[in-house]
Amino acid sequence: MNFNSELMKKLSDCFSPSGREKNMREMIINEIKTYTDEIKVDALGNVIARKKGNGKKILFSAHMDQIGLIITHVDDKGILRFSNVGGIDPKNLAGLRMVFGNGLEGVVCSEEIKDGEKIAMSSLFIDVASTSKEFVRNNFKAGDMCIFKTEYYETENCVICRAADDRTGCYILIEALKNQPATDNDVYYVFSVQEEVGPIGAKTAGYRINPDLAIALDVTATGDSEDGIKMDVKLGEGAAVKLMDKSLITHPQIKDLLTQLAVENNIKYQYEVLEFGGTDAGAIHLLREGVPSGVISIPTRNLHSSGEIFSKSDVLECIKLVQEVAAK
Amino acid sequence: MFLKELTELSGVSGYEYEVRNYIKSKLDEIGCEYKVDKLGNVIAHNKGKKNKKIMLAAHMDEVGLIVSHIDSNGFIKFQPVGGVDQRILNSKSVLIGENKIPGVIGSKAIHLMSAKERGKSIPIDKLYIDIGTYSKKETEELVSIGDYVVFKSSYVEFGEGLIKAKALDDRAGCSVLLDLLSMKLDVDFYGVFTVMEEVGSRGAQVAAYGLEPDYAIVLEGTVCVHMPGVKENSMVTLIGRGAALSLMDSSTVYDIDEVRKVENIAEKYGISYQFRTSTSGGNDAGAIHKTKEGSKAVAISLPCRYIHSPVSVASKNDYDNVVRLIKAVISENQKGE
Amino acid sequence: MLKEFLFEACSNQFVSGFEYINGYMLKKYFEPYTDSSEKDKIGSYIFKQNGTSDKKIMLAAHIDEIGLMVTKILEDGFLSFTSVGGINPASLVAQDVIIYGKEKIFGVIGIKPPHVIPKNERSKALKIKDLYIDTGYSKEKLENLVSIGDVATIKRDPVSLQGSVISSKALDDKACVAVMLETAKELNKISHKSNIFYAATAQEETGCRGSSAASYKISPDIGIVLDVGFGMTPDMPPETACLGNGPVIAFGGRLNLKLTKKFIEVCHTYNYSIQCEAIPSDTGTDAESVQINREGVPCILLSIPLRYMHTSVETIDVKDVETTGRAIARFINELDNSDWGELLCF
Repeated sequence: MNFNSELMKKLSDCFSPSGREKNMREMIINEIKTYTDEIKVDALGNVIARKKGNGKKILFSAHMDQIGLIITHVDDKGILRFSNVGGIDPKNLAGLRMVFGNGLEGVVCSEEIKDGEKIAMSSLFIDVASTSKEFVRNNFKAGDMCIFKTEYYETENCVICRAADDRTGCYILIEALKNQPATDNDVYYVFSVQEEVGPIGAKTAGYRINPDLAIALDVTATGDSEDGIKMDVKLGEGAAVKLMDKSLITHPQIKDLLTQLAVENNIKYQYEVLEFGGTDAGAIHLLREGVPSGVISIPTRNLHSSGEIFSKSDVLECIKLVQEVAAK
Repeated sequence: MFLKELTELSGVSGYEYEVRNYIKSKLDEIGCEYKVDKLGNVIAHNKGKKNKKIMLAAHMDEVGLIVSHIDSNGFIKFQPVGGVDQRILNSKSVLIGENKIPGVIGSKAIHLMSAKERGKSIPIDKLYIDIGTYSKKETEELVSIGDYVVFKSSYVEFGEGLIKAKALDDRAGCSVLLDLLSMKLDVDFYGVFTVMEEVGSRGAQVAAYGLEPDYAIVLEGTVCVHMPGVKENSMVTLIGRGAALSLMDSSTVYDIDEVRKVENIAEKYGISYQFRTSTSGGNDAGAIHKTKEGSKAVAISLPCRYIHSPVSVASKNDYDNVVRLIKAVISENQKGE
Repeated sequence: MLKEFLFEACSNQFVSGFEYINGYMLKKYFEPYTDSSEKDKIGSYIFKQNGTSDKKIMLAAHIDEIGLMVTKILEDGFLSFTSVGGINPASLVAQDVIIYGKEKIFGVIGIKPPHVIPKNERSKALKIKDLYIDTGYSKEKLENLVSIGDVATIKRDPVSLQGSVISSKALDDKACVAVMLETAKELNKISHKSNIFYAATAQEETGCRGSSAASYKISPDIGIVLDVGFGMTPDMPPETACLGNGPVIAFGGRLNLKLTKKFIEVCHTYNYSIQCEAIPSDTGTDAESVQINREGVPCILLSIPLRYMHTSVETIDVKDVETTGRAIARFINELDNSDWGELLCF
């Protein structure tokens, strides 16, 4: 199995902030439609793809949305005020180029910030570079969203791109679907909306499916930098099997299942305990009578920034593990 | 418009009895079918032409106070129910419990305050309600721990078409909903008067669970900072600019296609509207749109200055626009795509 | 028997998410009084007493406790860890701990001695990331015994203080599981028409998770949620409840007022002492998820006063446990003889 750079680039380049996942939805449906028995789009916009079977009902979930900014006010001078969509720290924003759904761009500028003063979202604005009132009025409205403008870049074994959170997860599910693991299980591949502001989509999709077990595919942090986060996940050391984060304590059966499948099939894996954050699995495992759930994580550096870094081989290991779970 | 009667009733979260009884009696008068669910939501059904299941939600409860302790001299200590700004509490007249025992919130005379104390707002745990008793025993005969406290504030129309009242959030929504139900429109919708919104949209979630709507419209009183010294982009909403549409808040990213549809309907019918230019705050839409398999939701609000205080202010003109807009939105939605 | 149950349950571990390891202990105590039992998909234990009507009453008390989880194995046999549930790092310093790895491993949490620390640093509060468990093993040996994700608790033997007051780790919320045990025992003696479900819920400390699934499964008509509340000490505000004065019933925006008043009435009738408190909004208990289960469940919330919450010296009066358990049995008995339509209507 080789890393499909073309697909990954296409996914990362797609415009899909939370609540505006239309492009991503269309792209994914287009990629997978010949490999599934059924595709549904629900009220909130989740893509629910199914490979029918008579065995266990398994739900895999990766989220289509990404963090971004939402415009709250537009003035005639081409100054746009905004709020964050998902977890973005205002101190990392000033100077960044942003791109809108219509392809137009702007740059994040800041009001004068005095020394030692904290940068708040309210002291930042986007300048869309126009002196024409008409142009501004016709192209930008309150409610529009924008995302980081970042070029996809890769080396022999790693990738820098925007929205590796969670395009890597989407990539893994698409590739796993294409490989068509032989199974009698009833497998649902959910491409969820609004994880970054929730999770919201996974909750409604999970309710509809009511699975026997659920696995989310999402990124996790690494402990690679010297004085950074104290955790044992390393880039390039394989698929991370999550044991706990703020939204989930992995069900013991799922921990054992993932560990056993990785060991039996020579899949490189590592355990993960994340002291912050959550995933789709956090919402899914509490649905109805409860759903035994876990997460296969993609180790990623520089999370929630305009340039997230992950290892191609880790992603490939994750695909193998997903296929084994689907077939088990 | 039922605002005068509705805002003068007491209905702190979890104790919506007065409001519920009033609404029930109005629904009986109108001749509208309704039921009351296990948490106390009133669910009215307006039958008519139907394309999808529409749920309108307005919450009956208001922010207020709850008695937490009676001290040895008979003074009453309290805690806020819902978001109450401690700065609005000083020197207020209040009513306590089912028997509406009158009381006042007093504080230390400014003459006796140190310079440091004068420079700060008084925290809630330093404030007390005085009902004019002389002992713990005397107070305990009239007031118990757990009694709810509301502000005493009457409904007043003033200025050019403005209203002042307590609890405009969200008796305004309740009033709009009653207006719509009394019109006996030939469109199908459920009018849900929810409980416990101010303590976390408890009622709305279970109501949506039972109803499973395709489309929900939340009617709210919303923040308005239309005041001197505030930049327009920070005002959130403006008084007199019409119904406020939500784009995103802390609990919901509103379906943009549905929001744009509402916008188009407003344009088509010549109804004034504005966008809520803040993403903070939340309402019943958060709970409703993600219940069970999920639904589309929009929020249409009446701008209220000094919201959550006894002197909330709104415009009658905005109110009319909210009623007209919601009426148009449900009619258009029941027409079919 | 209550004390025996509490001592046994508290000296073992029930860290959130790992309740199943010692779940057999619950069965041992509850099965004599109940008709059936099961473990649900999140890990809660549900015991049922069959009734003669179709009414369902759910009691909920969480069986899980706060704990520690290993995040990294370091050189010289040290372990980095994070908390499972909310822990004050100050309460961890200079404690014995047990790590539940391949076997039970003893460790201690020590800190740098004051001699080598600048004066201004001594007054600062410690954070969990500044603390390590010292196991005394070499890294190589330790890696065979402990893995990332293993949990640990403070090692603490429960102690009897004066009278019926006891102190231990994890009395939050074993005290209330003991209340359920007392209620089950009482209801075994006096008759009941309703079906009674005792849910020892999992993962409350990490966000009321177990009670969500358990209440969905049971789908009760009424919920009685039990948790511990703050007990009076010299540094607490005057409205704090006192140990030994009986259960504390909560009034608040999320709770059912009629049922709450009914419970107080029953306590007065049968001479059980009771205390009241106001919880305006979020109760931080299983009531959060039980109340909004499905189409809604009217709930009351009772607490047992407890001193030094979320430390290893949590302190309660067993008398309060007994009173509460019996009062609930009487309450259920009274409910069975009341008109539910009237009681639950608005």
